[in-house]
Amino acid sequence: MRYALGLLLVGLGSLGWETPGLAHGVHIQHRVISGIEIQARYDSGEPMQAAQVSIYAPGNPSDPWLKGTTDAEGRFRFTPDANQPGNWEVKVRQAGHGDIVSIPVAAMDGPMAGEPATVPSASLMKQPGELSPVKHWVTIAAVVWGFIGTALFFSRGKR
Amino acid sequence: MRLTQILVGLLGLTALAGLSACGTGQTTAVDSGTESTTNSATGNQASKGTLVIRANGEDFVRQGFTSKDGWAITFDHVYVSLADITAAQTDPPFNPEAGGKLDPKAQVVLPDPVVVDLAAGDATAEPILVAETDAPAGRFNALSWQMPLAKEGASAGYSLWLQGTATKDGQKLPFTIKVAEALAFTCGDFVGDDRKGILEAGGRADLESTFHFDHLFGDGEAPADDDINTGSLGFGPLAALAKNGEVNVNSADLKAGLSPAEHDTFIKILPSLGHVGEGHCEEVKLTS
Repeated sequence: MRYALGLLLVGLGSLGWETPGLAHGVHIQHRVISGIEIQARYDSGEPMQAAQVSIYAPGNPSDPWLKGTTDAEGRFRFTPDANQPGNWEVKVRQAGHGDIVSIPVAAMDGPMAGEPATVPSASLMKQPGELSPVKHWVTIAAVVWGFIGTALFFSRGKR
Repeated sequence: MRLTQILVGLLGLTALAGLSACGTGQTTAVDSGTESTTNSATGNQASKGTLVIRANGEDFVRQGFTSKDGWAITFDHVYVSLADITAAQTDPPFNPEAGGKLDPKAQVVLPDPVVVDLAAGDATAEPILVAETDAPAGRFNALSWQMPLAKEGASAGYSLWLQGTATKDGQKLPFTIKVAEALAFTCGDFVGDDRKGILEAGGRADLESTFHFDHLFGDGEAPADDDINTGSLGFGPLAALAKNGEVNVNSADLKAGLSPAEHDTFIKILPSLGHVGEGHCEEVKLTS
């Protein structure tokens, strides 16, 4: 009754929006993301269909960061938050059988090449309220500039 | 001038709104939770907590079950001999499927041998307490133990002692199966409803040695072609060894009485009995 979890990477590539040049008002945007795909099978090779999946982020091994179920092929995909580097754990269970696998995810600015289970630095899953230092100071400047502009607007004389 | 002032004001508001959106636009709907207060990677905190080691025969032992060949089995005693129980913090996490040596960053070793009865208590009993010990705070994600031959007690001379009653078609057959093979198991993280082994300073955490006896007898509730049944011995071959209305056999009797194929199955099953919840272990059989 033992099974192994096979790991595959999907969608490797840089992160960024690309907007194809459409002509008539319909826009389909896509972006290439990176993520992790696991596949759970029993030793017999039979896929673990509709098995429970729990994803644990490195900083919190107690509470699942994400829950889901495998598809008909025993696959499950997710995009870890690259702002949380470390060992991401994937637990798969079904009818009294289960296993857990640890997947190392590199730091956001760390080297990524050659690591089969490493996710490129950019992430779709950014935590609320997190700003880089550059964005932090630009935001402050924009706030000040907004107040100045607003003040100038309302201080104009009546003509 | 008025147009200039309007443009300046709108630009400022637009910049503010735009940057605000930029800061939250990629936020996931999934909460990542809180930071752990312990670091499983190092295990070097001076702070300690209490680590509780338990052994569990699961409901198969506490409540009984039906074997793959239709024998209703209940247990009076399931004695397991345990020694050198080692709870470890590993990083990268130890993977028993991959094999290799367990390389702990921190560990707690309980060297003294102990025999516990997995059938103690009623049908709803908690897993059996084996030991409590102070341990460094951190993430205990590996557990190993040995099963030597017990030196004393009811199961002296054996690593595993199964005693109970099997019933089928009105035939009631008391059994005692005494295993003289010494075993050892090296396991990774616990897999179950809850997570275990996460020890915070001043707190308590538990780990569990789990034994799956359905691997030996099969499970009548599972399909006949399920791995749990195709790979198990069942109870029928053991029932065939009954004398005077009772099965009372040890490892030597099994070797002499079972067919070579049945005995080979029995021997191969023994190292797969140990688990951590549903998580598997590196199966090591010491001696036979």
